[in-house]
Amino acid sequence: MKKLTNLLLCFSLVFSACKKEEEIIYDVNPVNTNSYNSGKDKLKSISQYISILYANLFQKALSANELVEISNCIMSIGDKEVANEIILSNFMNKTGVIMPSDSVMRADIDAFLEETYSRFFIRNISEAEREFFKNFLATNPDVSVEMVYTAFSLSNEYQFY
Amino acid sequence: MRRRNFIKKTVLGSAAAISIPYILPAGRLFAQSGSKLADHVVFVAFAGGLRQQESVLQRYLEDSQQYPAAGNIMYNMFNGSPPDDKIVYGTTQVVQGDTPIPQILNQSFETQGTLFREVNSSFVGHYGGLNTLLTGNYLYSQGLRNKPSMPTIFEYLRRHTGEKATNCWYVGNGIGNSIPLLDYSTHAEYGSQFGANFLAPTITFGSDGEKHLKNAKIYHPEDELAPMYKMKYFLDNVWYSQGKTLPSIGNTEEEKAEIKQFIADMFVKKEAGTIAFPPAGGGDNATIGYACEVIKRFKPTLTVVYLSSVDTCHSNFSSYLRNIHASDHGTAHLWDFIQTQVPEMAGNTAMIIMPEHGRNDEANGIIDQNAFWAYDHSDANSRRIFGMMVGPNIDANLSVGSESNQIGDIVNVAPTIAEILGFKNDMLGSGLTASSQSLFDLI
Repeated sequence: MKKLTNLLLCFSLVFSACKKEEEIIYDVNPVNTNSYNSGKDKLKSISQYISILYANLFQKALSANELVEISNCIMSIGDKEVANEIILSNFMNKTGVIMPSDSVMRADIDAFLEETYSRFFIRNISEAEREFFKNFLATNPDVSVEMVYTAFSLSNEYQFY
Repeated sequence: MRRRNFIKKTVLGSAAAISIPYILPAGRLFAQSGSKLADHVVFVAFAGGLRQQESVLQRYLEDSQQYPAAGNIMYNMFNGSPPDDKIVYGTTQVVQGDTPIPQILNQSFETQGTLFREVNSSFVGHYGGLNTLLTGNYLYSQGLRNKPSMPTIFEYLRRHTGEKATNCWYVGNGIGNSIPLLDYSTHAEYGSQFGANFLAPTITFGSDGEKHLKNAKIYHPEDELAPMYKMKYFLDNVWYSQGKTLPSIGNTEEEKAEIKQFIADMFVKKEAGTIAFPPAGGGDNATIGYACEVIKRFKPTLTVVYLSSVDTCHSNFSSYLRNIHASDHGTAHLWDFIQTQVPEMAGNTAMIIMPEHGRNDEANGIIDQNAFWAYDHSDANSRRIFGMMVGPNIDANLSVGSESNQIGDIVNVAPTIAEILGFKNDMLGSGLTASSQSLFDLI
């Protein structure tokens, strides 16, 4: 009798202890918790900067000859910000730069900003950054996609990887 | 009464605000004044390794090739008759180098200024020599492809006098041999923010520049550049919060716009054939033409021009002779251009000319098309150079030292520039220079 009671107790404990876990949904979207710099701590060399910039703008690789020529041009000017700006504006003067039209940017600024941060900085935009750019673009209706891309290409963050 | 007090306080406040002095980057309130010898200095590093025998000693082929033809092939620099035999140092009409270039200056630099006939250069490599000229230090442990560890003359000038970046230019004849690295040092108390604007015009305006710089867009300063910079500065501020900065020589937006406009204008002038090149080409004279343009546009306080075409002497002595002669012509053109085409600097500019090192006494065994021996730079003869300075408050027609009496060293050049521009005491106060003596102190 005692054995039967113990057996029943064990069965009841086993079945009452095992319970299927409920899936809890908090209705919050998953958030990538990368920091601003996304681990970028190395300065790009001149040739890295140029080849990455060209690939970003034209969505194709720069030829080896052109890479050497452009690197020489940048080395020949002491102020690298000036040199990069001139090289970049030469790129912008060429056909083949792949970028959305100004109207597409204005139609969905959120999507444009997310795509631009991802394209140039390889990270998500923060809410503070989103707020700044939305206000800036709203108050500066003549700012074009080219101008935004130029600002990103010349930024210090873009010099790091 | 209250009104009177208000007016009194306002006037006093305004006067105080107006009289608050500008604080220099070095921390001093006022720039040193009253001791300048000239408002501008142009230093020509007449470089690449130049033997005393073919320059100040005027022996032409006599010492190097054991051929009895002596004479002066740098007659803008030194007094003396040119050679009259075996003429291979000029431009080419029939035979290579057969036509000497006419003299530009009515009076040679030697007559107009002070010549140091025998100067020491202990560093007989290009980078080390130029590094020493610009820093006033023998940086024996400094490796190639590194920025100088001691401050350059540009940094002393800008830190101690508050000069803006576009008042300091360093024009190089290329981008090899670590030349572009000497625009500023890595020294913790100086560095990029006090650096010079470097330009290697034969690259910037050469075939590479034609292809990749010439067609730059000139953005509208208010409508396009201003918002672009505003966005960039926002992005940089976000990035700065992560503790990362980039070296910058501190050109203001206006200065950057001036440089971009200068580059665009040079392409136009090049196409129109109006760059201020010396009358005869050869050697580094393309670099000198663009240096003239930099000087005319920016009127810099300090300009350093680096020439090194004479280094062809490693394998071609005839080419070396032609390049010495062409560089003498080019340097004279630069001086003449300043005196005649840049009124703001005429009569108010000092020029210093000095090679970074000499060349060997013994030939290296390589023979050129004229059967002339070539020379490297590594032995004791490579430590022998000359020095020249000319301009206001510099003695004319003065010769210092001789072949048997060496006076001066390349470490004296940086203090000399500082003395001319009136900040020598500040520079020496840093305690970072090898010598406290300028060339003036050795006269």
